[in-house]
Amino acid sequence: MNEFVIALGWAGLYGVMALSAIGSIIGCAVAGQAAIGAMVDTESGYGRYIGISVMPSSQVIYGIVVMFTLQRPVTPETGPALFGIGLFAGLALMMSAVRQGQACASAIHASKTKPEIFGLSLAPAAIVEGFAVFAFVFALVMAGGIPG
Amino acid sequence: MPDSHRYAMLLNALPYHGPLFGAKQTPLSRFRLHQRLVQLEPADASDIAILGQLLDWTHQDTSRSDEQAMSEAKRQVAEIANPFAHDLAVWRLELRTLIAALRRRRRGDLAPENNRWGYGRWTDKIRRNWTESAFGLQGVFPWLPEAARMIALGDALGLERLLLQTVWNHLEGISGGHHFDFEAVVVYVTRWDLIARWTSYQDEGGLERFDTLVAHAMADVDLGRMIETEIAS
Repeated sequence: MNEFVIALGWAGLYGVMALSAIGSIIGCAVAGQAAIGAMVDTESGYGRYIGISVMPSSQVIYGIVVMFTLQRPVTPETGPALFGIGLFAGLALMMSAVRQGQACASAIHASKTKPEIFGLSLAPAAIVEGFAVFAFVFALVMAGGIPG
Repeated sequence: MPDSHRYAMLLNALPYHGPLFGAKQTPLSRFRLHQRLVQLEPADASDIAILGQLLDWTHQDTSRSDEQAMSEAKRQVAEIANPFAHDLAVWRLELRTLIAALRRRRRGDLAPENNRWGYGRWTDKIRRNWTESAFGLQGVFPWLPEAARMIALGDALGLERLLLQTVWNHLEGISGGHHFDFEAVVVYVTRWDLIARWTSYQDEGGLERFDTLVAHAMADVDLGRMIETEIAS
């Protein structure tokens, strides 16, 4: 039983980073493809499209920070906490990166046709980022309560 | 990658088309459109090609009988794999069946004897309600009485405008929730076709107007005398 709890602990420890990386991969790929498409159709503003398309990369950075914060000896006492915090923080970060990538693709599509709404079109992606920050910050707070 | 964003790159590479009747020309040329559609996966490209063959008037063989045309249409519709594209093709063929029925009745034809003259689920109802102005289908197709009135008046341009707008509105209704998937590509290509058709009428109208203006300007000009004068000088 102890071995299983220790395995779960390691899964939580590495999982937070792996899940957020998966989310960032998908989010950046979707937004990046939208940016490439927009560049084919427009004559200027290429930098802003690429800038938007990398927004979902922040989640993997949060994931790495949470992983290092959680890092401590994995024991039957710390394992369950590491698993719980790591898994759910990772899932939240992954989902936010995927959805942020989709929001960025829509923002690129809209601002390509109507450049004057560029700033406003980023609002949904920024709000999604806000929820990722919540998951990140409270994972750090909760990590402070784990023994060891 | 999620399927709902499969064609984010392609759809971002296609320019915004704007409203149907506001366009002076298609948002991009047919050549450019086909160049961009190369990004489609083979199965999706095949569906788009079938839709084009099925619905583009230039692909229709007018020497075929109605029964032959319907049998060919059924075969082609069955080959469309994507349910959204399939349903759109069926809807448009049913719309054409309704207009064909109105035109046949206007020509003085009697009610068809069987259901093989048209496509879709309404052929039998049309046959049974042949003498009613909108075949008793005005509840399902609110625009049908107006179309019947325009056909009776011989208002071809008004009818074309009404039909294009009806298809455009239908696309508006079914495209909800489709932003970067294959369904969104189908909607874009169909809208491109509608704009191409409408703007081609403008081109034809422009040419006719140009010819009229030239004929008017040249009415008092004696070209023979002008050439003789030019040679003499």
